[in-house]
Amino acid sequence: MSDEVTPDRIAAMAAAARVPISPEACVSVTRSVMPTVARLSAHPITLALETEPSSFTVVQRREIRR
Amino acid sequence: MSDVTALSLAEIAAAIRTRKVSSVEVTRALLARIAAWQPTLNCFVRLEAEAALAQAAAADAALARGDTVGALHGVPLAHKDMYYVEGALAECGSRIRKGFVAPATSTALVRLAAAGTVRLGALHMAEFAYGPTGHNAHLGPAHNAWDPTRITGGSSSGSGTAVAARLTYAALGSDTGGSIRLPAHFCGVTGLKPTYGRVSRANAMPLSFSLDTVGPLARSAEDCSLILAEIAGADPDDPTTAGAPGWDVRKTRRSVSDLAIGIPSAFYTDDLDADVARTFDDTLATLRRLGVRTVAVALPDQAAVSAAARVVLAAEATSLHAPWLRTRPEDYGPQVRARLENGLAFSAVEYLEALRWRGPALAEHLAAIGDVDAVITPASTSAAPTIVETDVGAGPDAEAAIAAITSFMRPVNYLGLPGLVVPAGWSAGGLPIGMQLIGRPFGDETLIALGAAFQAVTDHHRKAPPDR
Repeated sequence: MSDEVTPDRIAAMAAAARVPISPEACVSVTRSVMPTVARLSAHPITLALETEPSSFTVVQRREIRR
Repeated sequence: MSDVTALSLAEIAAAIRTRKVSSVEVTRALLARIAAWQPTLNCFVRLEAEAALAQAAAADAALARGDTVGALHGVPLAHKDMYYVEGALAECGSRIRKGFVAPATSTALVRLAAAGTVRLGALHMAEFAYGPTGHNAHLGPAHNAWDPTRITGGSSSGSGTAVAARLTYAALGSDTGGSIRLPAHFCGVTGLKPTYGRVSRANAMPLSFSLDTVGPLARSAEDCSLILAEIAGADPDDPTTAGAPGWDVRKTRRSVSDLAIGIPSAFYTDDLDADVARTFDDTLATLRRLGVRTVAVALPDQAAVSAAARVVLAAEATSLHAPWLRTRPEDYGPQVRARLENGLAFSAVEYLEALRWRGPALAEHLAAIGDVDAVITPASTSAAPTIVETDVGAGPDAEAAIAAITSFMRPVNYLGLPGLVVPAGWSAGGLPIGMQLIGRPFGDETLIALGAAFQAVTDHHRKAPPDR
């Protein structure tokens, strides 16, 4: 995950999503998400090519047989 | 009978079934209690008194005829205002869904109706279930039955405080980031967030389809089990439940003397206030006296897991709400709108990386806990704070305040694990404190067994707030 979030990035993302947002809100979002972004940047996620969201279900369902 | 509202769900179901008391008498007693408490708690958003009394009368007539009845026949219950009933309002704590009439009935409510329950009405909730405190910009806050100046926790705010005040024997909540477990902790009731995929979410309001779970708040672990016995299991209308096992009540009654629980060496023991730390130690001592083996476990980086949960929740919630964010953003409360805007920060690649990591993260968690049957943690760092001090709205410190309240909750949602919160002690000021048991996937019944064993030798769950 990028370790840099800026109000400009938020404004661009909101425009792409066609959601109106004020410049002040872009600043607020930047501040709010920074701890999450920083934490994930400090813990890089390395995923195998074959990993998909449903890989979670595979791991979870193994426990039914436990 | 003496005060029927003081009985547990198990006790009242048995009393009605054996005709020691009628469903109409029980319903009337609850309605009287609701009338007394509602001005203080603000926990009901709609009371359906006439319909409830009619259902209760029909339930009594069925018993008089000798009809075969369900396990919860004639028991009045109320639920969070996000469970749809065909043709009835489900306003989800919002202005946007004011007047929304549900097109179909939620599977959970279909199953509870089949068990014979009577519907009392709908309960307060955070707007669109997106808030952990019990504040609501449109409805006003729900109030804690133990101290009305305190928060209930959320988002199942009305469910928590209504069960605590003995206004309903149990209530459905939902848990995407702690929304069953936090009200259970702050209100002094028992709450079970089931394994993801164990209970159908069909026709319940979604918040984050990868994290949402449906479960009960009740007066005891045994009462939670009674609800799960009705609502757990596969449902063709919710594909995440495919292959999910039905509820096995025998497992909930097993001995706990051969069970092992893990005690995290970090994260969940950081920054606890003295009351919570003391309660945690007392709970461990009680469990050891029951023969439960305790072992230290070093969990993977829980702060990273929690951060991944926030990305998934934010992106999915914003996706669901994007049409209204585009057309009527001013109709959200300030905090909910701000939190939905936070979801705009994450790209599709970032969201999918967070979602794809769930499987490896769960495998890592299971490897870390080894063979233990559950992990025990506090539910939060403190007992209920005041409504005033947590009224942060959309202010600059809102997200940090929310993160602090929910920090012990989010990993459980991200990993899809079951979590049971049981009342375990009291603050110096007389507020309830809950402890959280985190199970293995589909180990929900084991959590109930541990909770029931704990509650068999403690009385925290039997205490009710003084009448006001």
